Amino acid sequence: MKVLFHILKFKILFVIKSQGNFNLSSVIKSLGVITVYSIFVVGVYVLAKNIIAYLLEDVKIGMYLFHRFIFVVLFIFFMAVNIGNIVVSYSTFFKTKEVDFLLTTPLSFTKIFLVKFFDNFFYSSSTLLLIISAVIASYSFYFGLPWYFIPFALSFIILPFMFIAGMLGAIILLIIMRVAARFGIKKVLVTLATVYASATILFYYFSSPVNLITKVFQYFPNMNNYFGFLENPIVKLLPNHWVAESLYWITTGKDYAAGWYIYLLIITSVLFFLFSLLIAKKWFYKTWLVFLNLSSELSVKKKKNSKVFFSFENNSSLKPRREALIKRELLLFIREPSQWSHFIVMIFLISIFILSISSVDVIILKSYDVYLKALVYLVIYLFNVFLIASLSIRFIFPLVSLEGETIWKVRSAPLNYKKLMLTRLFIYFLVIFIIGQVLNFVSNYQFSVPLAAISQLNTAFVTITLVSLNFGMGAMFANYKERNPIRVASSQGASLTFLFTIIYLVFLIILLFAPVSNYFYAIERGSLISISQLLYTSFMLGAVTLLFSYLSISKGVRHFNNDV
Amino acid sequence: MLTLANLSKKFGNFIAVNNINLEIREGDFFGFLGQNGAGKTTTIKMITGLYSPTKGKIIIGGFDIQKNPIEAKSLIGYIPDQPFLYEKLTGREFLYFCGGLYKIDKVKLKNKIEEIIDQLKIGEWVDKRTEEYSQGMKQRIAIASALLHNPKLLVVDEPMIGLDPQSALVVKNVLKQKASEGAAIFMSTHSLNVAEEICSRIGIIKDGQMILEDEKEIVEQIRGTDHHNLESLFLHLTK
Repeated sequence: MKVLFHILKFKILFVIKSQGNFNLSSVIKSLGVITVYSIFVVGVYVLAKNIIAYLLEDVKIGMYLFHRFIFVVLFIFFMAVNIGNIVVSYSTFFKTKEVDFLLTTPLSFTKIFLVKFFDNFFYSSSTLLLIISAVIASYSFYFGLPWYFIPFALSFIILPFMFIAGMLGAIILLIIMRVAARFGIKKVLVTLATVYASATILFYYFSSPVNLITKVFQYFPNMNNYFGFLENPIVKLLPNHWVAESLYWITTGKDYAAGWYIYLLIITSVLFFLFSLLIAKKWFYKTWLVFLNLSSELSVKKKKNSKVFFSFENNSSLKPRREALIKRELLLFIREPSQWSHFIVMIFLISIFILSISSVDVIILKSYDVYLKALVYLVIYLFNVFLIASLSIRFIFPLVSLEGETIWKVRSAPLNYKKLMLTRLFIYFLVIFIIGQVLNFVSNYQFSVPLAAISQLNTAFVTITLVSLNFGMGAMFANYKERNPIRVASSQGASLTFLFTIIYLVFLIILLFAPVSNYFYAIERGSLISISQLLYTSFMLGAVTLLFSYLSISKGVRHFNNDV
Repeated sequence: MLTLANLSKKFGNFIAVNNINLEIREGDFFGFLGQNGAGKTTTIKMITGLYSPTKGKIIIGGFDIQKNPIEAKSLIGYIPDQPFLYEKLTGREFLYFCGGLYKIDKVKLKNKIEEIIDQLKIGEWVDKRTEEYSQGMKQRIAIASALLHNPKLLVVDEPMIGLDPQSALVVKNVLKQKASEGAAIFMSTHSLNVAEEICSRIGIIKDGQMILEDEKEIVEQIRGTDHHNLESLFLHLTK
């Protein structure tokens, strides 16, 4: 244990030291960062409180359905943390020089596993924890809970929940590597993807949110009753259910009922922790060797199958420099597991989202509440934007940093570096733009044609803004020494970008809420006047996009001349 | 081919390079010597456009690298001390990528790559991904990438690091051949015997300042006194 703390102490020291020297400019920079974070926390707090008030006071969904809403959101959250940990752990457990070094020291495999797990967990979850803290605070104040509920909920409900998701990810990774040694990595990955896809489908099948809403609404106006009997018993085995239940019972004043779920969360996280230690003791080194074997096997296969897609040797109609650049980009992407696997995971999450909203039309058709329709539209739209933001932060923010230490070659070559980087940006922008447009079309086709068309236009503006923001910030916070794109995308600069994104989301809500509500009102009244309001909003959004994108990109480009 | 005029570089309050003046002609093989942290790599990074000078000018083939970077850089071949390559590309792919950056025609590039592979004797492993390479292998790929476009000026930072004796010999021969073909070579090195063996001119930098810069013949004359070889002279000047 002493050794573990010794390593963690130096890791913390490293993080502090890498923030720069203690001088006036670094103090001002730190104060700026703290200010933005504080504004962001307050923003999330206000937003969450307004959403809670809106759902409970305006839409009147009742305490039970409100906590089911939390339950579904937490499922997506659980999957994101879990899959994210599998992907990040793959890089940090097996591909870092630090593990190579630690393996040469007289440290037990369990300790190395723990050091790397905590490294992943806290490094990539710090911003998420900040957001959750603000949400828990707003939840606590809205329901008039005592102040100590906040640290209590964070320590004994949220942290164990995230810990279960993260630990499960690390355990699954070790199992994948062990099984891959026997059956091959491809088979194992395909099986795993099928299992995750099936689990997601089964979750929606068993939890069936739309059916639940319909059933609960039959008890209108007694919406604050407990309707646990309507739920499938299988979903009660899930940690996100335990979190939602514990919050529900604490809020309704039955702490003893919440106690059982908190106990389940803590005991499960402890069991997962103990199990992970056991599995790490037995398998960590073995899986590290499996990784080495798989790498060398892959290398042999590569030599045998020397034909490569996008081979540099193939003729191309593109100009030499553009061809070299595009082929480099494609090859580096498809050969870097942390890039393509994360991309697949994100596409998978987007598919879950599409699957979830495919039955939303039932709500819209059955609802007579204009505000609810507007809310449904906005929630779907904001989820779209959030997915675009996630893709941007993951793939656009690290773009400049990923030039990596090989930047010496590009920067010493006779080319316009700015043009080169903008070409790279365009390639990624195009992919995210297409995904955004498809996503928007699939999720909005059920609304009227004018609204869906305006949504397409707005999504285009939002994509341009978010991609530009991430590119500019990525250039400002470029770290050419970090090879892991996931770590770049969860660095301090990326967290700051994420905060700006959230502020932008709030701006979008403010901008769209009135025109969208008026539009639904107008439809009910048979008037078409409010379309002009929507168009006016789009023009405003277009203007903001132009300004914001210009500022972001020009700020970023200025950093290209920095010494490297 | 290369002119450094009043060249200085400051990092905050620290002066890394202090008012260096230097002229290197076509066919010159200039050995740039100095202790660790003397300012060699900083100077090289300014010449190649990776750092911008705080003061002074760098003229390459008549082009100021700050004002006409594209024209100036098209004349340079740069070999860094740490040859970072794209780990997921093979050596050959990296060479094709570099050729593309210099807009070399595909057919010419293919022939040139084959010629360089042969010259540097890297054919055995050039189709492996660079993540599997040793330091020396990476170094030879970096050297190959710098020769693709027949540069008029080769800027070389510590070329012998990580090379085995056979590889070092190959690299020395390639560099000598480039100089004999009329290219100017600016090479920083710690290896005094290498400098003594292949350089036609030598400069010594200490604490960012040039403390000796002259033709090899003059260096040899100085050596005739108390200093028997370049190592002895270097140690004397940099102590």
